[in-house]
Amino acid sequence: MLETSAEKPAPVRVISEALSEYINRLGQIWVEGEIAQLNDRAGSGMVYMRLRDPSVDMYLEVTCPRAVFKAIAPLADNARVVIHSKVNFYTPTGRLSLNAKEIRQVGVGELLARLEALKKILAAEGLFALERKKPLPFLPNKIGLICGRASAAEKDVKENAKRRWPSVRFETREVAVQGADAVIQVSAALRELDADPEVDVIIITRGGGSFEDLLPFSDEGLVRLAASCKKPIVSAIGHEQDTPLLDLVADLRASTPTDAAKRVVPDIQEELTRIKQLRDRADRKINDLMVLEMTKIVSFLQRPVMKDPIVMVTSREELIKGLRVRSIASMRARLVRAYDEIEHTTARVRSLSPQATLDRGYSVVQKSDGSIVRTPKSLAHGERLTLRLAQGVAFATAEGNSESAPKKGE
Amino acid sequence: MAKPSYEEARDELAKVVAALEAGGVGLEESLKLWERGEELAAICQEWLDGARAKLEAAKSAEE
Repeated sequence: MLETSAEKPAPVRVISEALSEYINRLGQIWVEGEIAQLNDRAGSGMVYMRLRDPSVDMYLEVTCPRAVFKAIAPLADNARVVIHSKVNFYTPTGRLSLNAKEIRQVGVGELLARLEALKKILAAEGLFALERKKPLPFLPNKIGLICGRASAAEKDVKENAKRRWPSVRFETREVAVQGADAVIQVSAALRELDADPEVDVIIITRGGGSFEDLLPFSDEGLVRLAASCKKPIVSAIGHEQDTPLLDLVADLRASTPTDAAKRVVPDIQEELTRIKQLRDRADRKINDLMVLEMTKIVSFLQRPVMKDPIVMVTSREELIKGLRVRSIASMRARLVRAYDEIEHTTARVRSLSPQATLDRGYSVVQKSDGSIVRTPKSLAHGERLTLRLAQGVAFATAEGNSESAPKKGE
Repeated sequence: MAKPSYEEARDELAKVVAALEAGGVGLEESLKLWERGEELAAICQEWLDGARAKLEAAKSAEE
């Protein structure tokens, strides 16, 4: 460790040499990246280029002897390469660069194999699972659109969406959709749109291109970011047969930009027709119901009780009349029985009466208290007596004791 | 005692008549039953007359 302070600063050469020594310790290294700026000036013994990381905005300068470069030239822009090099800190200028000893292009086959491996990992993590897919809104407020600058894809999405739903609104991010910046810019745009409260769905689109052109849309960082977005994502990358990993993680994979437009907004004509059909059905149904109900009412009105409601009263009147008739009849019968009872009793009373005996000339002697005189002994001298005769009553007075009177028969 | 409904009056009348018809009741009791029967029959008739009047009124309003 160098010990420095404000009072004891180290001179530049000490720092430069320390850096140089430290960097030299890295030795021979293999680095992978994309070739960004290529500076191949004729006459120079060296070729200068920038080696970029495909996922983040970082690069290293590369110095390559022409002879080494020629082994793989011509190189396309953004070509994926592996460079065998030594990191060199050039003390006179303080520049750091990789001194290439060998450059190898990363083949399509190898990239495909890596993609396949990444796909397996992501699939195993469940990032492509159907249950993760978010449904698209029926009618989004704003549509986030990530596309290339003035691209055909942008035009296709916007024109088709407007045709279907004229008042559709877009929040567009025109970004690099291929090359070294694509992953960084697309990721930044995606984060921004996912955070925008007005945006309800995000379309990521670009037209067809070479395998390398579409590689950014299989970048692990971008794919994971897309998977973590809160809003549904529609991917429309390249042609039907292209399937970058973004397609697999997206909530909806559209085959083309036009298809993406169709999926994110409803067709206004179609919707109007559907609404009209539904209204017609509702009208018909309610009409049928009314007719049915009317028929019911009419048939109710035709029932005898409604047509001739007086039957309600007359039928009950019959009942009451019947009950009264029975009531009177019963009462009469009861009275007749009562008369019979009386007559019978009267006859019995009569048959028991002493009148017949009186008629024969007998009379009944009663004292003033009503008791019947059966023996003279019960009589006192001068006692008042009532004589009940066949045709009335006479009064008499007891004059002699029955003891004294001679007994003469009955 | 509140005036019974038509159905209450009718049901009681039917019971009264049934009791009269069954006999086995004293004369005085029979007479009371009969009077109650007449009273109930009058109440029923009153209900029915009211209903009839409403029907007539509705009918004449319709015509």
